[in-house]
Parts: sequence; C-alpha cells; structure tokens
Amino acid sequence: MKKGRAKSHFVGVRLTEIQKEALSKLEKRSDMSKTDILMRGLELLSEYYSLGLDRPPLNVELRELEKEAMHHFKELKRIKHKEESVREMVQELRDVDKIIDEYNGDKSALIQILLKIQANNHWLPKPALMWVSERLDVPMSQVLNIATFYKAFSLDPKGKHLVRVCLGTACHVRGGPKILDAAEQFLGIESGGTTTDLNFTLEGVNCLGCCALGPVMMVDDTHYGKLDPSNVGEILSKYIVDSAGKTDARKELPQIKNEIRSS
Amino acid sequence: MNKLQSASDVEKLRKTLLNLKNNKKSCISICSGTGCHAYSSDKVVGAFEKELKKHNLENEVEIKRTGCHGFCEKGPIVVIYPEEICYLQVKVEDVQDIISLTIKSGVIIERLLYTDLKTGKKIVHESDIPFYKNQTRLIFGNNRKIESKSIDDYITLNGYNALAKALSEMTPEKVLQEIKKANLRGRGGGGFPAGRKWESVRNAPGEPKYVIVNCDEGDPGAYMDRSLMEGNPHSVIEGLIIGAYAIGSNEGYIYVRQEYPLAVENTELAVKQAEEYGLLGKNILGSGFDFSIKIHMGAGAFVSGESSALMSAIEGKVGEPRPKYVHTSEKGLWDKPTCLNNVETWVNVPFIINKGADWFRKMGTENSTGTKIFSLVGNVNNTGLVEVPMGMTLREIIYDIGGGIPNGKKFKAVQTGGPSGGCIPEKQLDLPVDFDELNKVESMMGSGGMIVMDEDTCMVDIARYFVKFLSDESCGKCIPCREGLRHMLRILNSITTGKATESDIKLLEELSATIQAASLCALGQTAPNPVLSTLKYFRKEYEAHLRGECPAKVCKDLIQYYINPEKCKGCGLCIKKCPTGVISGQKKGVHTIDVTKCIKCGACLEACNFDAVLKLSGKDRKKINEQVIGG
Amino acid sequence: MSNISLTIDGKNIKAEKGTTIIQAAKNADIDIPNLCHDDRLEPYGACRFCMVEIEKNGWKKLVASCCYPIEEGLIVNTKTEKVKNIRKMLIELLLAVSPSGSHTSLAKEYGIKESRFKLETPPESPCDLCGLCVRYCAEIKKKNAVCFVGRGVNRSVALVPGVSDACSSCRECFDVCDAGKMVYLVDMVQDISCSSLKSKFYQNP
Repeated sequence: MKKGRAKSHFVGVRLTEIQKEALSKLEKRSDMSKTDILMRGLELLSEYYSLGLDRPPLNVELRELEKEAMHHFKELKRIKHKEESVREMVQELRDVDKIIDEYNGDKSALIQILLKIQANNHWLPKPALMWVSERLDVPMSQVLNIATFYKAFSLDPKGKHLVRVCLGTACHVRGGPKILDAAEQFLGIESGGTTTDLNFTLEGVNCLGCCALGPVMMVDDTHYGKLDPSNVGEILSKYIVDSAGKTDARKELPQIKNEIRSS
Repeated sequence: MNKLQSASDVEKLRKTLLNLKNNKKSCISICSGTGCHAYSSDKVVGAFEKELKKHNLENEVEIKRTGCHGFCEKGPIVVIYPEEICYLQVKVEDVQDIISLTIKSGVIIERLLYTDLKTGKKIVHESDIPFYKNQTRLIFGNNRKIESKSIDDYITLNGYNALAKALSEMTPEKVLQEIKKANLRGRGGGGFPAGRKWESVRNAPGEPKYVIVNCDEGDPGAYMDRSLMEGNPHSVIEGLIIGAYAIGSNEGYIYVRQEYPLAVENTELAVKQAEEYGLLGKNILGSGFDFSIKIHMGAGAFVSGESSALMSAIEGKVGEPRPKYVHTSEKGLWDKPTCLNNVETWVNVPFIINKGADWFRKMGTENSTGTKIFSLVGNVNNTGLVEVPMGMTLREIIYDIGGGIPNGKKFKAVQTGGPSGGCIPEKQLDLPVDFDELNKVESMMGSGGMIVMDEDTCMVDIARYFVKFLSDESCGKCIPCREGLRHMLRILNSITTGKATESDIKLLEELSATIQAASLCALGQTAPNPVLSTLKYFRKEYEAHLRGECPAKVCKDLIQYYINPEKCKGCGLCIKKCPTGVISGQKKGVHTIDVTKCIKCGACLEACNFDAVLKLSGKDRKKINEQVIGG
Repeated sequence: MSNISLTIDGKNIKAEKGTTIIQAAKNADIDIPNLCHDDRLEPYGACRFCMVEIEKNGWKKLVASCCYPIEEGLIVNTKTEKVKNIRKMLIELLLAVSPSGSHTSLAKEYGIKESRFKLETPPESPCDLCGLCVRYCAEIKKKNAVCFVGRGVNRSVALVPGVSDACSSCRECFDVCDAGKMVYLVDMVQDISCSSLKSKFYQNP
C-alpha cells in the first residue's frame, strides 16, 4: 500500500488543523497508508465496544465512519448496534481491499473494481466508494460520475430478487411492454424501483438475447419465456416469502376481481 | 501440459488429439449457449450424463456442451455425430429414449425431428434442414462441433493453424497485405476496410500500439457476438493475435459487456488456456513475438460501444465519446495508435490466412466479400442466428431460411442496423444484403440485427421505441442528442396518443436534420434514422395517427377492445383472464367490456376461442362508441 | 513551429500547428459563438454552437471548431445557412430548459423570440451542462470538487460531498459559469439535484 499524503479531506471528513498535524505525525512514524490507519482505528473501536465500553474517545474521522456504518446498515433494513455495525463495516471494507488488490490497485481498473463490489453487495455502498477513491487515488468526482453513469451500478440497495423484463426489439414486437405493465401492477412498484420490503427490484432491460423465447422475463438467473400478461403474477408469487419465512400467495391482490358470475 | 514451442508443435498436438478422438464411437453435441440455457439445456446435459452412466456408455459416447447452434427457435438442440442426426426442442424426458433408441439401436425418434413447413416431411440430418441448408456457415459452423470450454477441441478443428502459419511463414507486412487483398470490411456496423485500418495503425507514430476486440454488442435483438464469444472464444483470440502481429502490437484488450456472464467466463478461461499452451505470452511459438490479452467488462451503457467511448472506459474514465477529428488509429487508448475491431471481424482473420484472400473473395459481392452472421428475430418462424454470403437477398433470408411469417400474418417491414438503421418495406425485399445496398435505401447493415415485423406492428410505435432507447442511452454530453432526442420522444409520444398535428411531423423532420448534423458521436448522428425511414416508407401511418387512428391497432390511446355480440358465446373465459375485472356478463350471455377502465392488456383477446374480441381504432371505434351512447 | 495558412470567412489567416479553428479565428478577431469553450481548458465539444462548415479537397463537412485542428489550405465558413440553422435549433432547445443563460443573447442575435419546445417539468437548475465548472475545478484548481452525475437527460452537475466543504473559500467556478447558475449550485449543498446523491450523501450533514 502506498504512503498517504497529508490531505485536508479524508474519506469525506474535513480535518481541523490540529487533527491534520496529529495525523501526519502518525503517518511519519509508520509506513502505513491513511486507509491502513483508519482500518486499525475501526478494528480497535470494535474491540472497545465488545468490552462493553460505550463512549470511547473518538477522533473526528472514526466518529464519522461510525455514523456511516450505522446509517449504512439502517438502509439495508438491518438496524444494528454500534459494535456490530462497525465490525461489519470493517469486513466490508476488507472485502473491498481484496478486490482492489486483485487488480493491483490499477487506476484504469476502476470500473472493473466497482463491478465486483456491485456483484458482491448488490449495490455500491457509500463507504465502499470512498474507500476505492482513497486507495486508487482517483478523485471522488470520477468515482461518482462512473457510479451514476452505468446501468449496472446502483447507489441504492437492491431487492433480494431481481426481476428483469426484456424490452429488446424482438420482445417489443411480441408484447414485452405488456409484460412489464403486468409486473408493475403485481408488485405495486414502477420499473426501476424496489419494493419496500426489499424483496423485489423490477427493471425493464435491454435485449437479453434469447429472442426465440420472447417475450422474456428473468427472475434472478431463471428465464421465463413465451409469456402473456396473465402468467406474470403466478410466476412472481413463487418468490414471495411471508414473515414466517414461508413461500405464500400474495396476501392482497393489486386489484380485486369482480365476482360477476352467478354459480 | 508443455508449452507449444513452434509452429510444428501445433500440428503435432492436433494429430495426437485426433488419434484420441477416433476411439469414441458417437458424439452428442448439446447446445449450451445462453439462448438454449434459457430453455434449460443444462438440465438436458445432466440427464444425458446420468443416462450414459446408467448404460455404461461413458467411454463410447462423448458429450459436448457446445456454443450456440443458431436455430434458437427450436432449442434445446441436440446433434448426434457422426450421423448428424438433429433433434430439436429436446426435453429432459426425451433423453432416455435418445440413448436407448438412437444411440444404442440406431432408431430415429420421429417426434424430435424437424418438420418441413411446406411438405410436412420429417428431416433427419442437420444439413438437410432448410434453415441450415440455405446458409453458408463458414464462421459459425464450428460452434456446434466444439466444447466451448475446450482449447483441444478448437485445435482438432485446425485451430491455431493460421497463427502458426502467420508466425512461421509470413512477415507482418505479408499478413497485412493478405487481409487488405481479401477486402475484409468491419462487421461491427461501420463496414470500414479492416486492412486499411490495420495499416494506418501500423504506420502511425507512437508506441506501444494496442488492439481491441469490441464485444459490447448493444443493438437490441442482436446476439451474434455473444454466441461467438461464448461458443468459440479461441477463434477470436487467434484472429486477434494474428492481427496484433501484423500491426505491431503487443497488448490486446477484449471488451465484453457484463450482461454476457457466460461470454466473460468462457473468454477468461480461453485466455488462461492459451497462455498455458504458450499461444499467448512471450516468444509465441518460438517466433520472438510477444502478446498478452486483458479482459475488460462493460457496465451497462450502449454508448460505451462507440470506439472512443470504449477506449475511455478501458482507461478507467467514464465511457463517453470524444470528437474524433484525430482518428483513434493514431491517437486511441492512452493517446496511442489503437486498432479496434468487432468480434466477427477478428474471427474472419484465421480463415483468410489459412485459405487465402482469393478464396475469401469468391464469397459475397465485389465490395462486400465473405459472409455475415445475422440475428433473424421478431415475427419470423425460424428465429435464430444465420450466416449467409453477402449479397443474398432479404427475401431469401426471411423466407427460405427464416420460414416466413408465423400465424398466417403478412410481412410488413424488416428493421436492420439496430437503432442506427432503418425499416425496409416489402417492395425492397429483393435487395441483396451487403454494406452498400442497404445504405442506398436509408438503412444500414449495422452489426447484423434483422428484426422482422408483421402487419400487427405499428411503425410509429417502432420509431418511438428506438428514440426512447437512444434517449435513455444518450450520454447527455452534447445538446443536440440529449435535448433533441428528448423532444423527438415527446413528439412521438403525442403522435401515438393522438394529440399531434401536421406541424409536429414537420418539427420532427427539422429536429432530425439538426441532430444528424450536429451531434458529437455516431449515436446521435444516426439516431433519427428509424424515424426518417419510417416517415419515408410509412408516412400514411403517421398521418392516420394524426386523425386518431392506429392502423395496426397497437397504440393504446387510439384503440379499444370490444366484444362482438354476434360471436360471443358467454363462456366467461375472458372474465377469468382479465386482470382488472372490467368484463361483465352472465353465463351464456353476451359479455361487455367497460372501456373506461380497460387497461388494454389484450388478455381477453388471447383467451377467446371464438374470435369474439376485436380491437377497434379510428372510424370503427367511433361508430361503436356512437352506437353505445345512442343505445 | 510551422505556420499554417487557412481561410476563415474569406479572411486569410496564419496560425501555428496544433491550434484549433476557434482559437485561430479568435486571434484574427473572428468570433465563433460557443457555450463550453475556454482557452485555459481542454476542448470539450459539448455545446455544438461552434460548429462551422469546412471545405477540404473539394468536399464540405460540418465540424466543431473548438476541437478541429487547423490544416494547410482549409477553407472555413462560420455563418453558412446550415450552420445558422443548427444554432437556431440549439437555441430553441436550450430555451425549453431555461429562459435565462448565455443562450438568450444568442437568441436575440438570431431573432428567436420563443421556443417551439416545452418541458412539462423544467429542471430545478437552469444548467446547460457546459461543464466549465467541472473542468475548471479539475484542470486548473485540481480540487475535483464538482462533478457530473447521471446520464442523458438525467445528467446534472453536483458538488462532491466532503471535498466541496472547502468551496466557500474559493468560488472561482462562479466566474466561469453563466451568471446566477453557480450561485444556485453552491447554495444547493444541502439540496443536490441528483436524487440518489441527495439521500445517500447528505443524511448526516
């Protein structure tokens, strides 16, 4: 890892002059980089909490990172105790380190690194982006530009099941848009959105390349082909899990069917 | 595995492998490309493995998980060699019969054979099936004979022979001349002569030089490159190494879109295998030539397939195009001379080196030599990937190979060239397909997407579809593309919802001219093409929309579903299928649709067995509404 | 440095190799309209107002003069009908985005009173995405405090969280931006236009 340079900004947090001086003294003494130092601080913090000590004397960066960790896991609907949040964040950042090391910290591998992080986490968490910017020495402006430019990346946590409806030209002429409409109706979300229980993310996507099956919908890695709108609800119900963990038919249908026919 | 040290080592290895092969009696080739995988071909493979074990036939019968065979409509496809028996739409339940009847007793299973659409006869052999018979499967043919994850299979089919020949018998200059003589034109869409591009990169000042494979296939409906990259990655690698040798480059990149995970996996494996065999790395086959390949994935942006954008992405920057007044062949990747070519272009190279430019020129037309792989999809019977010599007519491709339009519908148009191309109507069906002929009718060959559209397609809706695609994919850097396409979409939306006037069409044409002339890159410059070509050939449809009618009965705001009381039998099927419960009616009585609440999904029309559900538009719709109000 | 001779709007000009058409024109007191060009920054080619018609070896072409390097014997016309029509359309497109900005003076010059285009929800920021702020901060100040986010019609300019906290002491991007827009942007520190950034990065101010 490279030796860090004194910066007036560090992982999104501004340092006061005194803090800057203290940090640069620490750096001069060891050949640890800024990210190394921070990682050590986080690990110590986690140990501190596990000893039951609740209010350690944190410096500004660590306090910010702790706040980040808690916010991060709140977003994932896993509200955690400080200790667990920090510990999990250390693990996540260590995973990011591994990915960066696979590419030897090569700046031009930025997109490849973000793709791996996205694949592992199903989104790009803010701490991960800041960590990448720091380790690759690439400005955060570039990381953010890339993270928001490409469809593969998401700055929001995605649902457990990814539902992709093909909107390629061949599926379009075979009725693809109607399949998307049916999926939106059933899940109660718009294309691009995620259900509030974080179970499903629905996307209309460019050609999936199985045109003979059109119109096609994928749920995770499974293809469902030659669909018509009435199949969609049946297929998606299989993926719904209720609070008891059982796969169950949807509790409320999006539209109540009129009971018209007399018996 | 000892590294191959010389050109003759390649030939020696090939002979050894062929000897090993001859011991097996039969080979079952099962298509395992992404298309057939979607049909659960992996389960079929599993079933074959189990069944062979059960019958103790593992040493006599070989299984190959191959790349795409091309006849995607009929997948999963299984071909049994050496007899070349072709079974289609094979399910797990069929495997038992295939082993016990065909493999063990030589009995053909009729129900799995292709039925000729015209004669009704069953066809046993793959090469007799019209879909395959009328093609010239030069490049694509090997897909069905090799295990996609095996370098040895590729070598037995003469793989890396061209590389051995080039490195041991030809100078880089000679290789270059051969490619120029063959008049190989870029298969990615531009059709620029590859030999000329190679030459300008070779002569450009600056080191190092780079070569790139563009597998960012973004055109919706096109998946030729995916099938080549998944099914036969070594053919791409071999072409790339030969090209690099001719150009004087020692570093190559293969850019694959991340939406192709199997292609990424197989390419990474193929590069590793080639390195192990000494076909990549230092002093390849003892020639003194070094070459290495890195793989780079795309992240979901159509615009990043544009050559300058792709190079930016490889540099780790955002994949946006830049103005190309100095060509990338002079200043490309990291401002060094770079040669970027499409997957299919590179795959042609080993064939040209093996058999010579003169042989290659015999195929195709004078200015468009060789073959081209097209993805024939949409409203066509035989959906799939087809390889034909340049110059075959659209009619031959769509009817002789494609088997024509399904469900007795009429042909309306064929869209070629992806979002940069245009729609070709029936009167142009006898057009020979090559780079120049299609340009003459305001379309283009593009990367090879060929989307067939029947009479139930609304051409205005198609134009809107493409403009929406391009507006979503625009990088947003330049004003004409970003703002211009946004407003083109708004106008097309107002046309398809019956809210537009004649002046809107004029505005559409004016906007098109500006976007074509002023956009920064080819995405913007060609974006108006689908609109302009549909305006040229289907203007009457646009004008009908201005009057509130969609002749093809597609545009939701201009149609209405109606149950014909004279045909309705009151069976209630439509009520069952309706997702919004807007159909009412008693058993055996006439059913009616509440048009104020109908979402026009079409489920009722699909369900009805009595043709009682109609789609109305324009005058018919007005008439019925007047009757209803009057009644 | 070799001297290259070319003609711009009928005027014979000499300039150094490597100069772009817009620079060569400026040196000869010929003004080519543009929104995204700045002599101190790398050419960007985004606004397309600087398009001109060039003639070379008998054929004509439209090019962006901010990016095209001059060539010996090049004939350049900065005010042909084609070029003017492009500029007029660009002005109309920008007027749909915002009634203010430097395109309004161009609108006066080209006689455009109103646009045939309208957006249902005009954007919060009247930014025309010329990128001068982003590029200035990256290339001159080397702070990278401003960045582009998003793609296509969702493309916008945003301040980079953390880095931009020090911006109030600099504010040099104000001078490169059209009057009023940058003020709007910096005041939006707590209210970024890109919605994902807004929720992700400003929860804990």
